[in-house]
Amino acid sequence: MEAFKSQFPASNFTLLAVVLALPALGAFVNGVFGKRLGKQGVRFMALAAIGGSFLASLATFVALVSRTGAHGEGHEEAKQAVRLTWSAWHWFSLTGSAGQSIPIDVAFGVDAMSAIMMLVITGIGFLIHLYSSEYMKEDEGFHRYFAYLNLFCFAMLTLVMGDNMVVLFVGWEGVGLCSYLLIGFWFLDEKNAAAGKKAFLVNRIGDFGLILAMAMIAYYCGSLQWTGIEANVTRLLDPVKVWPIGNLSHETLPGFLANLILPKAPIQVYAATLVGLAIFLGCAGKSAQMPLYIWLPDAMAGPTPVSALIHAATMVTAGVYLVARTSFIFVLSPAAMATVAVTGAFTALFAASIGLFQTDLKKVLAYSTVSQLGFMFIGVGVGAFSAGFFHVFTHAFFKACLFLGAGSVIHSMHGRIHDTNRSQDMRNMGGLADYLPITRWTFLISCLAIAGVPPLAGFWSKDEILWKAFADHVTTDKSTARLTMWTWPTWLGPAIYWVGIAAATLTAFYMFRAYFMTFHGQFRGWKVVKGWKDHGHGHGHDDHHEDEGPLEGPAPRESPPAMTIPLIVLAAFAVFAGFLNAAALHLPALEPIGELLAPIFAKASLAIGGRPDGEKLEHLMMAPGLLAFAVGGGAAYVIYAQRNGAPERAFAEAFPRLYRLVYDKWRIDELYDATVVGMVDALADIFTMADKWIIDGVIARVSAALVGFLGTVLRAFQTGRVQAYSASMVIGLAGLGWFLVRPHAAYSIDDKAFKASGQLTLSAAPGLGYHYRWTVGDSPPSDGRDVTVTLNPGESKEVVLEVTNAFKSVAQERIPLSRSQKPTVIQVGGPGSDKAPAQGGSR
Amino acid sequence: MNTIPLEYYLVVGAVLFTTGAVGFLLRRNLLVLLMSIELMLNGVNLTLVAYNRHYPVNHGGQVFAFFVIAVAAAEAAVGLAIVLSFFRLRKTVRSDEADLLRN
Repeated sequence: MEAFKSQFPASNFTLLAVVLALPALGAFVNGVFGKRLGKQGVRFMALAAIGGSFLASLATFVALVSRTGAHGEGHEEAKQAVRLTWSAWHWFSLTGSAGQSIPIDVAFGVDAMSAIMMLVITGIGFLIHLYSSEYMKEDEGFHRYFAYLNLFCFAMLTLVMGDNMVVLFVGWEGVGLCSYLLIGFWFLDEKNAAAGKKAFLVNRIGDFGLILAMAMIAYYCGSLQWTGIEANVTRLLDPVKVWPIGNLSHETLPGFLANLILPKAPIQVYAATLVGLAIFLGCAGKSAQMPLYIWLPDAMAGPTPVSALIHAATMVTAGVYLVARTSFIFVLSPAAMATVAVTGAFTALFAASIGLFQTDLKKVLAYSTVSQLGFMFIGVGVGAFSAGFFHVFTHAFFKACLFLGAGSVIHSMHGRIHDTNRSQDMRNMGGLADYLPITRWTFLISCLAIAGVPPLAGFWSKDEILWKAFADHVTTDKSTARLTMWTWPTWLGPAIYWVGIAAATLTAFYMFRAYFMTFHGQFRGWKVVKGWKDHGHGHGHDDHHEDEGPLEGPAPRESPPAMTIPLIVLAAFAVFAGFLNAAALHLPALEPIGELLAPIFAKASLAIGGRPDGEKLEHLMMAPGLLAFAVGGGAAYVIYAQRNGAPERAFAEAFPRLYRLVYDKWRIDELYDATVVGMVDALADIFTMADKWIIDGVIARVSAALVGFLGTVLRAFQTGRVQAYSASMVIGLAGLGWFLVRPHAAYSIDDKAFKASGQLTLSAAPGLGYHYRWTVGDSPPSDGRDVTVTLNPGESKEVVLEVTNAFKSVAQERIPLSRSQKPTVIQVGGPGSDKAPAQGGSR
Repeated sequence: MNTIPLEYYLVVGAVLFTTGAVGFLLRRNLLVLLMSIELMLNGVNLTLVAYNRHYPVNHGGQVFAFFVIAVAAAEAAVGLAIVLSFFRLRKTVRSDEADLLRN
């Protein structure tokens, strides 16, 4: 252990390079050589890369924990958050607001939060790689798939390991890219490609917020490193004038407008609020919160293991990670915290309500993910950073397990139904418990976990969040405040709590609805015939069969071990992971994660205050959570297991419009189409008109007409007859010859020395065979190209230049020179002319 | 010894050149055009050689004339080949029919 520690010192922890390099290498090899490697080779490469990365992450985690222990012995106060850092290279520098240089390095740093994320990414990543190697076995894009998947792991690791915001942003964009590539993995289907594009575009809105936040942090804190931001975070308590912007004032605006839009006093907020809201905009995009959640349900167009890894376990939790990571900024602004918590609560309830009536198994899970992400944001929003992050951790296991279970069900449905929509429709399932025992049990365990049944993982994390929501909120230190700050009202915490309980009830209901519809009752997919054999028809023929009448087929088969092993492992974690932070039991042995995370949030937690009776409520507050499970799960059991879904159909008939509205996701997509998309469309139409009429119509036509006219004129000269061309050549040569034969008496004047001595130097222009003669005033003529003339103030002289060429032709040029009484002014060309030409002469 | 003055040669050369130039501009038969070019080249050659005789410093005029003769031979070969292929194409040797690039 000591040798290991000295090999990898905390300030130069090169093992991180291994964690990062392996998935990158896997992505490169599979992406470039994958086709030639063959499926076995690709599979080995991908699994080895992510597996090796997992082992390196595990070693990193062990190193981190051992160092934490060494620091924390004896005195609790001295416990510092341990960071293992590795700086790869200097990237670039920014200039800060005070003129200082802000270095941006490609540097990676790992603390307990990053290390746990690394284990989740590589560990669950490995299981999902293993699962995919079976699930995607038949796919032609096998190597492409694994290249993307490895690349995703690399980008996600960059995101959580980045030591500064810029590296985080690189990973942030990287996972967005991989998400886009994998959602549109089967891009031949227009629908899938559109889903990928939607995810990408919606994420751009969020990224805009993140870039804005980075710029503001660099401006105020003078650093983008986590440690640097935390050290200078109080500078974010500068007031910022948000309205009116710029120099809008009563002087610059017309009176009525100024009265209308200008407030009596400028509106000021803390920079921390702006930064927090901008960061949260980024997080809302990545983590699918209201109102940017719309991409996640569509993202289910990708392969199911992708949904499990990217759109449930890892990437979508990046937003929660980032809020937890920047908790020291958020605690400065109660308004930003409240925005996070309220958005989370609203999303949790809203998404859960959509999940109620979905019939597509993957869609149910997608809305469940959105809803659970809402819970996580409630956690980090009320200041329960550990609890929120812990829910990321537990959710990764049971949601990945649910998605992989759904994948296993879909895989077996593909035994006879090949249409994507029909094979995922729960109305075609039912009774699969007998055919798919392993999938059924793991799915049931995960359902119990997500519904919050003790002692499964979801119970510990979700009830911790809800209790904290009831009891805790961020407080403000009024003594140092420079602005009147928005304070957290007392009713808000309980309100969030009860919204959360309602969402938990709905969660239990729709999860067990999915479970009962899939695994219980009669199998509705096709008529199971013993010993049924495919009659050698290709897949393409099945569509015809389906139209002809009840489909016949073999009994659905349980998936092979490569798919069931990940299910079993994840289900085991769904059961036991909760004991890694079972805070409610108050046993130190059962809170290792909480203990690791505590130093990271220590400073931020100082700002979190609670109700005086909060501690007493801890166990009491669990009762509504349990009741939520009992009510939701019980209702689902009665409706779907006992009465086979009849009450849902009755409800749909009694309130058809309400049912359709919820089924159509409250028509939020249509709302977006009508507002945002419609606005962009209208804008595009305006630009199209401008392009058509102004650019094409006026500018292009006028210039085309001009060029056309010039072309017509010039075309007249292009006769195409050799003689016409040669004639113009002859005329041109004759003209040139004439010019050369004539002498030209041109000259130039150099007046550099004029101010000092009154001297001017005149030089004749050179020519072949020329002979020059200068006559200055009455003095005798001189030969040579140059002549020097001296002018006294008030004097006038006439200079004559005579040029004789080789043919004895003579040209003459008279140059009158005069100088005024003022000693510095010279006139060339006689008195009265005030322009002094530098050269002249006849030609 | 009575020598013919330089000016006589120059005048003959100028007359030859002008004849060639006018012929090149006015005639429409490609073969005649080629011959006109030869005439112009010969006028230039005569001028060069005449200058060389009067200023025989390094015989640059004669060397230049040899170059012109060599180039004229090459030009005649290429020119005749062009005329031949043009005739195959258009069944004529009139220069004003050679307007394929115009339209």
